[in-house]
Amino acid sequence: MLIERCAHGNRWRRVDPGAKGLFACCGLIAAFMAERPLVPCAMALAIACITVAGAGIRLRDYLRALLPPLFFLAVGSVTLAFSLHWAGEPVRLHLHLERSQLPHIALVCGRSLNGLAALLFLSLTTPLTDTITLLRRLRTPEALLDIMVLCYRTLFVLAEAVRDTVTAQSARLGYATVPLSLRSLGLLVANLSLQVWQRSRALHLAAQARNNDGPLCFLENEYTGGSSILLASVGGGALLVVSMMLGGEFQ
Amino acid sequence: MSEHVFELRDVSFRYPDGSRGLENCTHAVRRGSRTAMLGVNGSGKTTLFLHLNGILRPQAGTVLHDGMPLDYGRHGLRRLRSRVGLVFQNPDSQLFSASVREDVSFGPMNLGLERKIVRERVEEALMAVGLLEMADRPVHNLSYGQKKRVCIAGVLAMDPEVMILDEPMAGLDAPMQRELRRILERLHANGMTIVLATHDVDFAYQWADSITVMHDGGCAGTWGAEELPAALEELEPLGLGMPRVAELYRALVSCGMLRDDSFVPRSHGDLLLQLADVPRACSTN
Repeated sequence: MLIERCAHGNRWRRVDPGAKGLFACCGLIAAFMAERPLVPCAMALAIACITVAGAGIRLRDYLRALLPPLFFLAVGSVTLAFSLHWAGEPVRLHLHLERSQLPHIALVCGRSLNGLAALLFLSLTTPLTDTITLLRRLRTPEALLDIMVLCYRTLFVLAEAVRDTVTAQSARLGYATVPLSLRSLGLLVANLSLQVWQRSRALHLAAQARNNDGPLCFLENEYTGGSSILLASVGGGALLVVSMMLGGEFQ
Repeated sequence: MSEHVFELRDVSFRYPDGSRGLENCTHAVRRGSRTAMLGVNGSGKTTLFLHLNGILRPQAGTVLHDGMPLDYGRHGLRRLRSRVGLVFQNPDSQLFSASVREDVSFGPMNLGLERKIVRERVEEALMAVGLLEMADRPVHNLSYGQKKRVCIAGVLAMDPEVMILDEPMAGLDAPMQRELRRILERLHANGMTIVLATHDVDFAYQWADSITVMHDGGCAGTWGAEELPAALEELEPLGLGMPRVAELYRALVSCGMLRDDSFVPRSHGDLLLQLADVPRACSTN
């Protein structure tokens, strides 16, 4: 819900998703072009500043969205840097730091961070409906888009159903003890499975009633700022140039 | 053109699990009317509506639209559904897209209209239900009543001749019910035939010009609203109760406070107006 709230409430909400997608894409490519760890880290910082200062995402919200993937990145990096193996006499478990691999690990971390910042830029400034519009423009298969549309909408419907069911179960001491919690959880899952089936049928009927017999088509939103694509191209191009210039290829 | 926009002749339908949907149901909907379908849960109102939109096909009997049997072919259904809009009871069962504007555009886009026309229709429909300023809001951030209005806008944008609403007042608070009623009044004033299902006998009595009672999958009877006070005894056994205004009016007539030949009030306001004349009537006598 945090990402959803930011995507709908930021300064660049009405900017063409094509422009934002282009900029994020350039950020991702720049991450893969960088050959020294500091370069992608600096670009990640620059993209984060653009997201916070440009799009008006609150820093606290940005950090809250950043922290979970950052945690996974940290865990992944630690497991790359350290290895466990049996050695010595008597045989013992050793924790070994691969020093020679540290520059590579730092580069991987930097690239990941850069990629993460680019994707966060897109997801925090663009509602999923706009992203789907963008994917439709990019000729993504209709079936895939239909599934995205339905999953996105159903996510909120089911989240509401889960909340209501858990509240009703809690009100009748459904989660009072561990065995009761397990039982309630099982009932919740069973109930939700049934609801998913019923709701999918209801949506099918509703689509038929509104004359649908093929892909789910919607009117595209209108976006402001005709120069946004140009600005995004300049910004994205700048990221790529910086990445190439500092990456070692042209030194 | 036929006087009746819809006719059902001895229509029967059973669901795959064996439960009864409709049983020899015969009914007609007059063009340009405001029809209320009254009935307890499971009486067959929703099943009947699904037949009118061609979603369900009768296992026995015939459904006629404009005097012609429904054509269940692809083109026939397309034509029918572009002229007959159906608003479901639960808005979450009808709303597809996460954005209000997108969802309202779903029906007209399915009609294959040009994007410019779709955009105009979406704006008009949202304006008609008073949600234009919320066009870009995500659907999941709307209240239940607002979601219902989005559903109505989604059907309105298809510009149907007939609008069918399944329990439109269910779950709405009093101001939202009044707002929805105003919307229905406007649509009817523009010539639209409106059919709705409700449990609220008071609302049906006040709003509709034709009231049909569904019972055990069949149509137990149809009355013009002005005939309803005379048929109150018939409503009682069907589990629907009586319109409170009509009940009170009869009580006032029987105790002599109102004359038997006076205008039968349809609403609380009408009755209050009649009672305001009572002292004058008494002093004249």
